[in-house]
Amino acid sequence: MIGAILFLTFTILLFGGVPIAVALGLAGALAITLADQSIMAMPTNVYSGIAKYPLIAIPMFVLVGSVFDRTGVALRLVQFATAIVGAGRGALASVAVLVAMVIGGISGSGPATSAAVGHVVTKSMVADGYPRSFIAATVAAAAATDILIPPSIAFIIYAVMVPGVSVPAIFMAGMFPGILAGFAIIIPIVIISLVMNFGGQNPSRHALSIWTTFKAAFWGLMAPVVILGGMRTGAFTPTEAAVMAVAYGLIIGFFVYRTLTLRDLYEMLVEAGELSAVIMIVVALASVFAWSLSTLGIVQPVADWVVGLGLGEYGTIALLMVVLILIGMFLDGVSTFLILLPVLIPIANAFQWDLTWFGVILTMKIAIGQFTPPMAVNLMVSCRIAGVPMESTIPWVVWMILAMFVALAMVVAIPDIALWLPRVMGL
Amino acid sequence: MSTKPEEILVAAIMAAIALITAANVVTRYLSNISLAFTEEYSVALMIGLALLGSGLAVARGTHIRIPFFIDKLSARGQRIAEAVAMALTILCFALLALHGGKLAYDEWDFEFVSSGLGHPQFLYTMWLPILSLVVIARAALRMVRCLRGHQP
Repeated sequence: MIGAILFLTFTILLFGGVPIAVALGLAGALAITLADQSIMAMPTNVYSGIAKYPLIAIPMFVLVGSVFDRTGVALRLVQFATAIVGAGRGALASVAVLVAMVIGGISGSGPATSAAVGHVVTKSMVADGYPRSFIAATVAAAAATDILIPPSIAFIIYAVMVPGVSVPAIFMAGMFPGILAGFAIIIPIVIISLVMNFGGQNPSRHALSIWTTFKAAFWGLMAPVVILGGMRTGAFTPTEAAVMAVAYGLIIGFFVYRTLTLRDLYEMLVEAGELSAVIMIVVALASVFAWSLSTLGIVQPVADWVVGLGLGEYGTIALLMVVLILIGMFLDGVSTFLILLPVLIPIANAFQWDLTWFGVILTMKIAIGQFTPPMAVNLMVSCRIAGVPMESTIPWVVWMILAMFVALAMVVAIPDIALWLPRVMGL
Repeated sequence: MSTKPEEILVAAIMAAIALITAANVVTRYLSNISLAFTEEYSVALMIGLALLGSGLAVARGTHIRIPFFIDKLSARGQRIAEAVAMALTILCFALLALHGGKLAYDEWDFEFVSSGLGHPQFLYTMWLPILSLVVIARAALRMVRCLRGHQP
């Protein structure tokens, strides 16, 4: 009964446009009061929900994203990739996906990558003969690989919430599934471009030299190496790797590209601070919600019920897939994790799934939800930049969703796509 | 009201966390001195960042939410919905201020010390209720603006 009130309150508040953090906190507080538990659980959980060392990686990785966004790395990556791929049909669209994947190796959030890539490619793709709705679909789908390719804020949250999963291990586990997903969406993009004759139509295009553009893009291409290399060798914790990447980005911005000013530095700190706070306050108040879920004893019955449906391993994964993609259409990945993980982990344990692999496939499902209309967070950003309504992207985006599903099915069927890399690295 | 003070504090906290972490790395590789104890300060700074940044996000309307249904309302309906959302935000952070205050008071009363450095724990915990008041103030300002008929 109280469990029903908990979820009902939360849903009503959420659909009423109340910030999700507040909806989680108030629903949790209400359930705590109704169950005659001490309300002191609220401040205690909020405090201990934020005051965790691994969470410090979040503001630092958000800062990395801000720094590299302003240095103009995305533009130089696009020029370099264009110099290699050329200017044929579908070429620039494929470039957009590849660049989103590299940016994904620097930044940790899908909508941020959508914005960074969308701002850089939209104009030149329009000039090259791509319809705006197709551009928005491409950018949103490409940016969805971002939460799979490390660093990823969704993975940090998952590792903090799930005992026995380390941040470096799940980062590495996301690498190949992320790359696989990226190449999977390039396939429909190229086929559609060839069939519909998209791209390669800019008359004023001049050939770029591979060497010149490589020199400019080199520093940006090295950024994922700096971040992942530092963690790979165990030299740095994830938080430290992020801070090193910030230092590296600032050096490039101030001394190599000379695109940054001190004013930019201040604005980046404020921007990244606010964005991280928005994530952390959800983390904090979600822990009140999660605490009331577990104290009220709701988690185990729901988990038992799902397991007791007798769908088997693949059936249960398919069910979770439907539920997560539905929720992922409304919510960002971090919030989805925070709300659902308390129920999902007991289910995973019942089937004795590897929790690192489970985190990767959950994140792939959320990634698909991020560009599935009508409420996809990535599409919202890319449509705003391209200036088209979200409905117009549907004929294109369905093929990309389908492609990413195939990638997801492969990771489900062959867990080693995710688990091989962390295993050989001894993580 | 300008959000300048919070912006400066948020920037300062971000810079402090980054510098503490960087100092940790440098001293670890260049000397035998361990700055691992600084972890406790970084973690405490996270509380300040989360709450001050939340205040900023309230003022700018950038908290994560589902705008889908609200956007279908009339301009007036949207203002009312936003005012209600702000009232609920005030309620949520008032609970945190009140009970967080009690938590800090208890920790002072029982002389709890932090597990790492042995500082009085309430010196960290008290920022939860204090900075919750900042979020409440920002939400109140936004609510009044909505009720007066301005777009949020």
